[in-house]
Amino acid sequence: MLTKPAEADFSIVLRRYDIEQQVVVTPEEMAKKMLPKDEVFRKVAEEVLYMRFKTVGPSVAEAIKARAPLDVINNGLVAGMEVVAKLYAEHVYYLPEIMMAAKTMEIGIAIAERQVPGGRDSKGTVIMHAAEGDPHDIGKNIAAVMMKSSGYDVVDLGRDVPVSDLVAETVKVKPMLVTGTALMTTTMTAFPAEAKLFRENGIETPLMGCGGAVNRDFANSYDLGIYSEKAPQTPKIADKIREGYDWKKIREEWDDIVGGK
Amino acid sequence: MAVTRYTRMAYADADDMVFGTAKHPISYGFGIKIGAGKVIPEINYAPRPGTEKDPEKLRREYVDYISKDILDRAITVGFPDVQLETEWVSQMNQEKLSAPVVAGQKEITEKYYEEFGLNSAVRHTIPDQREADEGLRPSRHGRQYPEKLFECAEIAVENGADNLSCETVGGKELADFAVTNGDAVAFLFGVGYLGSIDMTYVWQEFANIAKKHKAVAGGDTNCSGANVSMFMAGGYLDNDVQKTFSAITRAISAARTLAAWESGASGPDKDCGYEGPIVKAIAGKPTTQEGKNCQCAHCDLQGNLIAQVADLWSNESVEYHPEFGGTSVQCWLGSIGYEAALMNTAIQLKQEKTLRDIYMYADRYRGPEAYILAYDHAYEIGKAIAANGDNLYLRSKAAGLKAAKIIIGGYESKELGLTNKQLEVTLDVIKKFEALPDDEAKFTEYAAKEYKDVPNFTLKNYDL
Repeated sequence: MLTKPAEADFSIVLRRYDIEQQVVVTPEEMAKKMLPKDEVFRKVAEEVLYMRFKTVGPSVAEAIKARAPLDVINNGLVAGMEVVAKLYAEHVYYLPEIMMAAKTMEIGIAIAERQVPGGRDSKGTVIMHAAEGDPHDIGKNIAAVMMKSSGYDVVDLGRDVPVSDLVAETVKVKPMLVTGTALMTTTMTAFPAEAKLFRENGIETPLMGCGGAVNRDFANSYDLGIYSEKAPQTPKIADKIREGYDWKKIREEWDDIVGGK
Repeated sequence: MAVTRYTRMAYADADDMVFGTAKHPISYGFGIKIGAGKVIPEINYAPRPGTEKDPEKLRREYVDYISKDILDRAITVGFPDVQLETEWVSQMNQEKLSAPVVAGQKEITEKYYEEFGLNSAVRHTIPDQREADEGLRPSRHGRQYPEKLFECAEIAVENGADNLSCETVGGKELADFAVTNGDAVAFLFGVGYLGSIDMTYVWQEFANIAKKHKAVAGGDTNCSGANVSMFMAGGYLDNDVQKTFSAITRAISAARTLAAWESGASGPDKDCGYEGPIVKAIAGKPTTQEGKNCQCAHCDLQGNLIAQVADLWSNESVEYHPEFGGTSVQCWLGSIGYEAALMNTAIQLKQEKTLRDIYMYADRYRGPEAYILAYDHAYEIGKAIAANGDNLYLRSKAAGLKAAKIIIGGYESKELGLTNKQLEVTLDVIKKFEALPDDEAKFTEYAAKEYKDVPNFTLKNYDL
């Protein structure tokens, strides 16, 4: 195999910003100050933080003997996931950690929820789908995990969803937000068609267009349309809709909402 | 079509590989000879949104606008050869939409060949719309029968496709899980093992269909797996997937991409298969690559390096629209065509190995993926695959393990820098792969149990 030519200075060819800028702090060090102080909640939060999906069940079962189940969810499991989100934002954790922590949290919530009379309140319901004719749904799946982790209920319609099915489900469920992903320029045209039918059915729900083929100009080109470039932006936008923002106001303040672009 | 697994390398030495020349060149279309001593630009495009709604609109878009613009620009700039690639939009699984496009492109390329002597051919890449939850095999009835995939292949070659290609999706359900969860064993199982089984099934049929109509069965790429992994690993500002993970998945995907050629396809493979240097080293068939001149479609960290052994040089894809310098397809043909002209000049001046090494060193240390694809390392990964060539599981595992060890070797010799996380992920993959059984049946049993809850996964899709 070849070796690096000794006389060549590759620092003038390229610069490894990824190595220069890496965060060297460990998850344990970073999470120390963020975890709940209460011992019971802390133990549950740590199960999520360290993605222990095999032991989260017994830990939650133990915790709900000492604390109210809803508090175990909010102050233990969700609090743990909030720490995970912060570690992700700081590049200490990455996508696989988010996915596994979310799975851990969901296992824990399912156990605790059974003990909550009347069930747990969610922040709102969101319908998610990949556009008609489009089989690519990995982006939608990642965004769905992030929405669930942020406390939203997700109705996942899957991929290649016919326009008529989406409209019918939206009429039935009355979500606060509908998201769609498209990887192909010929499938993203489903979004304006969906928006038109929303309007004809009296629906004013924002319709978020996302995915590799979609850009902000396109998503803003039809009434009800809003944009999300990356999965972590979606909960931030949903939070604003919860505060009462409509699709026009989301568009106006988009840069501030997602943290600049 | 009979299946013949590769168990030996086509090239005796990595240094024998160079752009523009393949051990087994292939001719088709109007005067096109690939891998026969020159690099040919391959231009790929997408129609404007909305044109897919009407057969005549779509034909006009592909033939009267896109193809004509490309061929005119080739003449304008003086390019002797050009290959067009039409990646079918999903709606083209309807014959009324696809047949006029295929026939029209054949007609117009023939016209320019006769009028100007411009060598050209059209690759038709048909959509694999099979979905794992609906069944990948004919016995499992669903919305998208596998029969529909083979029907598309028939439509393409009956109407004049010169090269039949596809981006098959076998193993995608596990690849998606693997990439998002950072699970290289799931990728090995889904892409390396099950994906290879699926490709073998699909490509035997494609090779038969192409042969029947005197077309060439080109090849495949693990677009839905290794490319997803690479794109999510992204550049230096992206961190969702570790670049060492994407490098290892790329090596595994080579063992899968090879299956098309083992099942009767002749090459060239597909442009977005960055595993091309590995499979060319093993099989000696021509490879299509894309890098610095495909920035219209995506960014990567091996824009120069990946040209090192290319036989076709592609722009990946661009939506048809106006630019200052002409239409988008004309501008990007200029970009890839001039690069191919540079490579061909190097060949004529007998400087091709010098240019190859300049390309390669320009990105060799830019990241782990470029590092393992440098032609000397690609050759070593190829050897690991060929040494286990008869066993789809063992060769995929060997490819991943070899790539991981090349990365660690580079890191320890201080040639290749890694972040702490990139290093951690590589060491973890080595540990996990070395702990796997050597027996294919035992591995299948283990993996089927381990990944039983992955959405849409069933062994029935792979005849297991």
